[in-house]
Amino acid sequence: MARIYTSSVINASAGKVWDRIRDFNGLPRWHPRISDSRIEDALPADKVGCIRNFNLQNGDNIREQLLGLSDYDMFCTYGILESPMPLNGYIATLRLTPVTDGERCFAEWSAEFSCDPSVEEDLVNGIGTDVFQTGFDALKRHFGG
Amino acid sequence: MVKVIKSTIVDAPVENVWDIIRDFNGHDRWHPEVAVSTIERSEPSDRVGCVRRFKLNDGQELREKLLTLSDLEQTFSYCLLDTPVPLFNYVAHVRLFPVTDDDTTFWEWESRFDTPAGQEEDMATLVGDGIYSAGFEAIKAHIAVGGIR
Repeated sequence: MARIYTSSVINASAGKVWDRIRDFNGLPRWHPRISDSRIEDALPADKVGCIRNFNLQNGDNIREQLLGLSDYDMFCTYGILESPMPLNGYIATLRLTPVTDGERCFAEWSAEFSCDPSVEEDLVNGIGTDVFQTGFDALKRHFGG
Repeated sequence: MVKVIKSTIVDAPVENVWDIIRDFNGHDRWHPEVAVSTIERSEPSDRVGCVRRFKLNDGQELREKLLTLSDLEQTFSYCLLDTPVPLFNYVAHVRLFPVTDDDTTFWEWESRFDTPAGQEEDMATLVGDGIYSAGFEAIKAHIAVGGIR
């Protein structure tokens, strides 16, 4: 089982950052690698079980299902249903935790999946950097640091 | 039941912070409120179930028992056995997480406890500010002075 763990500190309260990222259909508004997204079957984007169907800037299409969403604990868990990447059983969680001694929060983005050992390192680095860290960097720019 | 949660970012890699705080008997070396501490029965301080008996600067004595210790997750938890202040059913958790994009540490310290009606706020302040926040600042100063980073 391959694992990815990326974390960062964002200079805004967890509540403010959560407002920006909780929309499961909202990736194009905050993540620079995503060009467009829709929720299949016209379901609400916070209905657990809904599927987002989105395209990357490079044209790749990915379908992901919302598995868990908590406004109280501020996390979102989802799994990949279809993607061009050679992996299986991909489950990821994006989570925010308040840092109590300032207007900032701790952000974690982690994933587990199975794949052929020959491509594991490339997938771990690729997703960890291009998706997770790129997303955090965009949030840091938006919230000023 | 009162819940207290405090957290901060320490400007040092998570392994360095863990090296300092994982010693259940080491708090008298870094926490400004703790004068002296020993582990009862000469047990090792990383033996789950061991009891630390320690004195605060004002002479008050407390006993706390180690409930959990994980080097993998860099967490420990403990409960109060004896205390001169009205904290009952007190269980605390200390957790460290790596901030991977700049190699620093997110540190969370939380507890739950019971206390007589009317004392919730005073006890929450005592624990949250007097112990947890003071501990954060002491470790930050400790690391800055020691040049651990």
